[in-house]
Amino acid sequence: MSSFEDADTEETVTCLQMTVYHPGHQQNGIFQSIRFFNRQKLPSSEVVKFGRNSNTCHYTFQDKQASRVQFSLQLFKKFDSSVLSFEIKNMSKKTNLIVDNKELGYLNKMDLPHKCLVRFGDYQFLMEKEDGESLEVFEIQFSLSTRPLLQENNWLPQKPIPECGRYSSCSTQNNSPIEMGENEW
Amino acid sequence: MERPLTVLRVSLHHPMPGPDTFANVPPQLEHDTSPLLVGRGLGAHLRLQLPRLSRQHLSLEPYLEKGSARLAFNLKALSRKGCVWVNGLTLRFLEQVPLSTVNRVAFSGMQMVVHIEGGTSLEAFVCCFQLSPSPLIYRLQAEETDEWEIIPQEQPPSGSGQQARGHLGFLDSPSQPSPGGAPEIQLQREPPDSALCEPRRPPRSKP
Repeated sequence: MSSFEDADTEETVTCLQMTVYHPGHQQNGIFQSIRFFNRQKLPSSEVVKFGRNSNTCHYTFQDKQASRVQFSLQLFKKFDSSVLSFEIKNMSKKTNLIVDNKELGYLNKMDLPHKCLVRFGDYQFLMEKEDGESLEVFEIQFSLSTRPLLQENNWLPQKPIPECGRYSSCSTQNNSPIEMGENEW
Repeated sequence: MERPLTVLRVSLHHPMPGPDTFANVPPQLEHDTSPLLVGRGLGAHLRLQLPRLSRQHLSLEPYLEKGSARLAFNLKALSRKGCVWVNGLTLRFLEQVPLSTVNRVAFSGMQMVVHIEGGTSLEAFVCCFQLSPSPLIYRLQAEETDEWEIIPQEQPPSGSGQQARGHLGFLDSPSQPSPGGAPEIQLQREPPDSALCEPRRPPRSKP
């Protein structure tokens, strides 16, 4: 009883929920080294790497087409803000990383939106941040999707469609066009 | 053909260094594109032996701005207990700011000036370290203020100027008028250590 009463107040922990999809996973076990549905705690100062090299990466892809280090994630605080955010950085020289509609080249980085779709090659990752208070640790939890996330969730931000216009290449995945005036295009 | 590496010219000064403070500071350190860690611990790439320094106190992280061909750098505070003062901003744990060409940094009594000379290599960068016997950042002694003041044309103290210039030539030269339009350094006042980690106050409301 006393241990409960004397224990430190529990803090909520920032958690990154990552739903992953690759069309070749069923056949080739691309994500076989990732433990799904397990909340893994990591120190808040850790730079988390994803890629093919198991010596340097926290989470590995069993895929020769993946870079040794494909991308990295790290937690940070904006200056004078109490909110913890994630930052994603493309570590691949060969493949661009696409975060929603933004393309990141080698060593380009950006703040991860609260909910976003990250893609490269055939890989798709739906990332959702759960806010927490702890500055000591954060968590990552993986889920596996057997269906493409891009089509399922209609992820790309919607662009308005002109009445007499055509879909642009970016909006081919959108199923629900938004109406707009002719002069707005 | 090999591309030239980005060079970080790092000058270090501590007012009361111990015998081992700088014992592990190499003249040069080449590093890949992962964050370079500064601290007291064995895992740090630049190890400084200071009792008030965290095992990992700060990191210098290279990255590329979109459309740029040269490395840029972020400085991130990694100490839970200490703070890092960078170009007038006091960073707490996990806060980060982008660095400019010349940067004044202070932490745990250490003064550090980082001058970035851009190269085109995206494989690695190199740090060149110099130890300075003279202070690198003008420091208030007894006067108290809660705003960092910018001193437009700080001159080195007479008598010590020659020594400082010889040791830190790159640091002094940009503050001189330059026909080539080189950026002018404005020396900033470093906060006293005790003030570094005081709680932030909300900005004063103007009457």
